[in-house]
Amino acid sequence: MAAPRQTALERQYSLLGLMLIAPTVLVFCAVIVYPLVSAIYLSLFSVFTPTLQGGWVGLENYRSLLGSGEFWVSLRNNLVWTAGTLALQVLFGVGMALVLHQNLWFRSLARSLILFPYFVSTVVAVLVWKWVFNDLYGILNHVMMAAGIIDWPVDYLGTMPNAMISIILVGAWKYFPFVVIAVLARLQTIPEPLYEAARIDGAGPVARFFDITLPQLREVLVVIVLLRAIWDFKEFDLIYLMTGGGPVIATQTLPLLVYKEAFALNRMGMAAAYAVVMMAIMLVFMVLYIRRTRERRP
Amino acid sequence: MTAIRRVLFNLFAWTVVLAVAFPLFWMIVTSVKPQSELFRRPPTFLPETVTFEHYWTLLTRTGFLDYFRNSVILSVATTLTVVAIATLGAYSLVRFRYRGRESLAFLVLFTYLLPSVVLIIPLYLMLVTLGVSNTIFSLVIAYTTFALPYALWLLRSFMAGIPEDLESAALVDGASRMGAFRDIILPQLLPGIISTALFTFILSWNEYLYALVLVNSDAARPLTTGVMSMLISAFNIEWSLLMAASVMMSVPLIVAFAFLQSYLTSGFGAGGVKG
Repeated sequence: MAAPRQTALERQYSLLGLMLIAPTVLVFCAVIVYPLVSAIYLSLFSVFTPTLQGGWVGLENYRSLLGSGEFWVSLRNNLVWTAGTLALQVLFGVGMALVLHQNLWFRSLARSLILFPYFVSTVVAVLVWKWVFNDLYGILNHVMMAAGIIDWPVDYLGTMPNAMISIILVGAWKYFPFVVIAVLARLQTIPEPLYEAARIDGAGPVARFFDITLPQLREVLVVIVLLRAIWDFKEFDLIYLMTGGGPVIATQTLPLLVYKEAFALNRMGMAAAYAVVMMAIMLVFMVLYIRRTRERRP
Repeated sequence: MTAIRRVLFNLFAWTVVLAVAFPLFWMIVTSVKPQSELFRRPPTFLPETVTFEHYWTLLTRTGFLDYFRNSVILSVATTLTVVAIATLGAYSLVRFRYRGRESLAFLVLFTYLLPSVVLIIPLYLMLVTLGVSNTIFSLVIAYTTFALPYALWLLRSFMAGIPEDLESAALVDGASRMGAFRDIILPQLLPGIISTALFTFILSWNEYLYALVLVNSDAARPLTTGVMSMLISAFNIEWSLLMAASVMMSVPLIVAFAFLQSYLTSGFGAGGVKG
């Protein structure tokens, strides 16, 4: 008698579970799954943005994409930007987390100050940095000239390689706090006896870092690197607002190219093709990251 | 010896911290300098005369207050919608068993990582076809694409942290599943809901790309694109005004940030890093 009632209750529960998830599924289908599928479909068309008229071109968009120099330049820029800013974020982020883990004066104030760049709007960050970088009245040029590092004001955003270096640095400044938060959380869970044992064995601070801290951080660092690689790769706001992809297309990454094709050159289908290719490249990192998170779940 | 090393370490650490925070300090300083002092050489690191004229200009002679109002409506609407849907969804994903549950969790994570530029073209077409483009409503729809996966993923990890025993006890005592949800789960989840709401609010407040593409009228423009349009439309750039706008724009974030202090380690970082 008990067994069928149990299944009836279980069936009732799974029905309730489905009802609770239904709004999520509906919204997901409407605003994510449907647009995603139609982006792929759209990439097989040639569409003129203002009128939204166009026709089927099959794989023609993809063929001209792979043959265009602009795609390869943007991909290269995208990789340079991602690798550069990611490396700085991780190096600086881990270093800062180690510092903030120590007994610092006014530690919570220091932590808040460090985390703030991450929370502030990209628009605000860009405006402030553009003002700092300003070639005539910017504080950076003034300080550099006063210190005798440069004799003449430098154009930080209008020439290469300055523009790429500048956005990489601003990107590192904006996003390294993410690494700090994640690493700091992990540092707090490393058991203190590990360090005491190493200290008794005569290990110095450097040896303790490489023998204990780094191996303990390894797993969280892999996840951080994957996650940040994905986010940096798709970054639009910061680069678009800092340089607009310029000078010419020297800092133009794939997201900027997609935007330009769709809303400046009015070629929606072509833009969708670029977006699909970009997503395919990112899929590698996404699959690695998702695998990683699933493995770690008990 | 150790005392000297401690002082040196602190000096070094604080130098780095202040260097990182310098642009934010510079933003505030610039916003209260009179125009004449702004272009002085050498520049003054602390303003000789403090003026709030730029804030006054910003509030009375620009569209800033309209943008601000739009941003508040937009962010609050997005946050309420998303958190309501995601709380039910997270409860379902963590505490119920049905087919497709695991694939759904996988889909959530996947969309959490999806680039906006892929979705923006079809979304733009969709919203134009529906005739709702250029409204705050259209932005709420668009913001759901990144805010819902994010909130769902975050709430899911908060939900998983609530022990099952209490809920089971309530069920044994005769409570219905939804009764147990209301009386047992919701009160325990409240800190998680609050921090998810604050993070979602911050994400929506800072969003730029969708606002750039979907809205081109001042009536619906939020702060991000609104303030940038002030930069582009000005004949000669009034940096003090822009810095004042930046400060004002960051005030709600500072408030949210202050509330979040205690949740920091379980928020942005943990949402993505701890599965």
